[in-house]
Amino acid sequence: MKWIPNFNSSNSLRVIFVIAVFILLFLSSIAYKHNQDLNESSKLVMHTYEINIQLERLMSAIKDAETGQRGYIITRNARFLTPYIYSRDKVNTSFIRLKKLTADNPVQQQNLQNLFKLIIQRFVSFENCLKYSDPKTYDKRKLDNHMFGGRILMENIRFKVDEMNDIEKKYLSSRLKIYDAEISLSPLFSISLFLVALCFILLAYRQISRDIERLKVFNKKLLISSGLIAESEAIGKFSTWQWDLDSQKIDYSDNQFRLLGFEPNAFVPEKETFLDFVHPDDKETVSKSMEGILQNKQLPFVYYKIMLPSHEVRYFKTTGKLLTDQQGSKILLGINFDITDEHLLNIELQERNKELEKSNKELASFNHVASHDLQEPLRKIQTFISRVSDADKAVMSQSARDYIAKIEVSAKRMRVLIDDLLLFSRTNTTKKEFIKSNLNELLENAETELTEIIDEKKAVITASKLPKLSVIPYQIEQLFINLIGNSLKYSQPDIAPQITIESEKVLSADYPDLLEQDVKKFHKITFTDNGMGFDPQFKETIFVLFQRLHSKTDYPGTGIGLAICKKIVDNHKGHIIADSTLNKGSVFTVFLPD
Amino acid sequence: MQKNALYILLADDDEDDRLFFKDAFEEIKIQTNVDFVHDGMQLMDHLHDPENKLPDILFLDLNMPKKTGKECLIEIKKTERLKNIIIAIYSTSSSEEDIEDTFIQGANIYIKKPSDFNTLKKIINEVVTVNWHYHTSGLNRDNFLLRLK
Repeated sequence: MKWIPNFNSSNSLRVIFVIAVFILLFLSSIAYKHNQDLNESSKLVMHTYEINIQLERLMSAIKDAETGQRGYIITRNARFLTPYIYSRDKVNTSFIRLKKLTADNPVQQQNLQNLFKLIIQRFVSFENCLKYSDPKTYDKRKLDNHMFGGRILMENIRFKVDEMNDIEKKYLSSRLKIYDAEISLSPLFSISLFLVALCFILLAYRQISRDIERLKVFNKKLLISSGLIAESEAIGKFSTWQWDLDSQKIDYSDNQFRLLGFEPNAFVPEKETFLDFVHPDDKETVSKSMEGILQNKQLPFVYYKIMLPSHEVRYFKTTGKLLTDQQGSKILLGINFDITDEHLLNIELQERNKELEKSNKELASFNHVASHDLQEPLRKIQTFISRVSDADKAVMSQSARDYIAKIEVSAKRMRVLIDDLLLFSRTNTTKKEFIKSNLNELLENAETELTEIIDEKKAVITASKLPKLSVIPYQIEQLFINLIGNSLKYSQPDIAPQITIESEKVLSADYPDLLEQDVKKFHKITFTDNGMGFDPQFKETIFVLFQRLHSKTDYPGTGIGLAICKKIVDNHKGHIIADSTLNKGSVFTVFLPD
Repeated sequence: MQKNALYILLADDDEDDRLFFKDAFEEIKIQTNVDFVHDGMQLMDHLHDPENKLPDILFLDLNMPKKTGKECLIEIKKTERLKNIIIAIYSTSSSEEDIEDTFIQGANIYIKKPSDFNTLKKIINEVVTVNWHYHTSGLNRDNFLLRLK
């Protein structure tokens, strides 16, 4: 049962969101690392420059010392020695600083160590120069040697400093190259990742707006259908209820409250309170079937009475079905029908049926009366007349003989009337057994029955092929006898009767006024004669019981024959019509369903 | 009572019918003894009385007081001593139902009371002279109802 629409997209939405979040996290971590790298590289540059500065300071301190020493040697003024004295401290400070700065680099430490040795040698050489330039210990050759040695040392120091600077620069450039490589790769990558994330988010947005649209449509449908259900419940006098078997919560539809004689949501429905509404006669049945619901998980039709607060009694029919929803909880759905109107109608129908049965019985007993009690005295009259022998008649007066003859005719007519009436009522009351019959055979039987009068009138009956139909055979035979008999009876004097019987299949749609449209095809059987015909204005009335168009002295008859025809055709759910031109002939048309 | 004559019994409550019947038998030239009973009770009493001779042919009206012809027919066919009596139903009714019922319950022939005395004589003549042995062995629904041509 598909009563909750399925939103599969919610799962894919979740996936899209998770992917987008991961991409964004990844992007931010890259950005963070990027930042860190930049920081590192700037620190590195600073570091290199500081080393460079300290080395230059070292160099300049030594140069200061050299310049001061030269000034002193030339002038012998002690003032020139001041920078020389301070330079030792400056060298030491720079050296300590350098040692710290290059702590992470063993090559530079080694170089620094070598540089330091060279610097110490240089200062030893300074001392020697000072010593041999002193007039007290002046030695030109040794001074020259030391001066020249200092010159070489100085170049070595410069060389070493340059070497250290170069190493730092190389180190810096190599590090910067690595960072540059890392940095140059990431912008393109991160932009594309960002775009992907954006795409995912856009996709999710589209999906969400689609789902919202669908939800709106479903919501509208739900509103309409719930409105329809409420409306149809009110019109159809039924109501629905839901019983959640897990939580034991019962919900009534609005109409359920109304059927019980309350305003909607007038009370909280419970399993027990419902029994209060049930009529005392049916309490046991209903409570049993309620227990049955829990055991069998379903509710077959239960019929019972309800007592409204106004003490009005209503008849209810209830059924239910167990459903398991998508969340797996078991819900019993039920429908209550208020069948009071149908119930009362049924009772009325039953009573009418009884009345009908009664009147049918009365009709049957009328038949019995007609066939026995009415016939009995008549038969005796006729028999007594027949007992008046010719010898008796011979001694009677002429008028007595005439009276006897008139009594005889009247009695005969009475007999025909009773027989025809019986036949008419029997076409209605006897059992109607439909048997597949060949109508041509039934027509032959009818002709045999009428042989005497056919021969007498020298009538010619021509019949085309008639269909095989499911009919009540003796009734159709009677129909043929009556129709042909009618034509023979009302033939034109001195003209041999000609009766033509033809049959064709027709569609009921072609005769919308006459025929029942439920049956598609009919057989149209026409009886055409060359008789005296009748005034077409009587074409309806001739089928009415006891209706006669001629005086009974000219044409003896009871006015029942054609009424029987109509009854027989009615029994077959067919139709009969007549048409005629006075003094030309008549056409009787019978429609029988295929 | 004449010996060797056919013994005919008519059960009919109608006095006129009994009269017609009696006259008709008198006029046909066959040796018969005709007895009458007036209702179903009287008929059964007569038949059950061992003193009474059993009729060769019983003409039985259907519509009788106290006990109807159909009830008598059923009772006769149930009684061992009586069940071989030839029974001609003699009734005003020509209803299919009556004809069908009495045929099933074992009557031998069904006569609709005629409305002409001469016809009555012909019918009686026919019934009395028929060879009942052959008639009964070839009995069917079509020849059960006596029709005179």
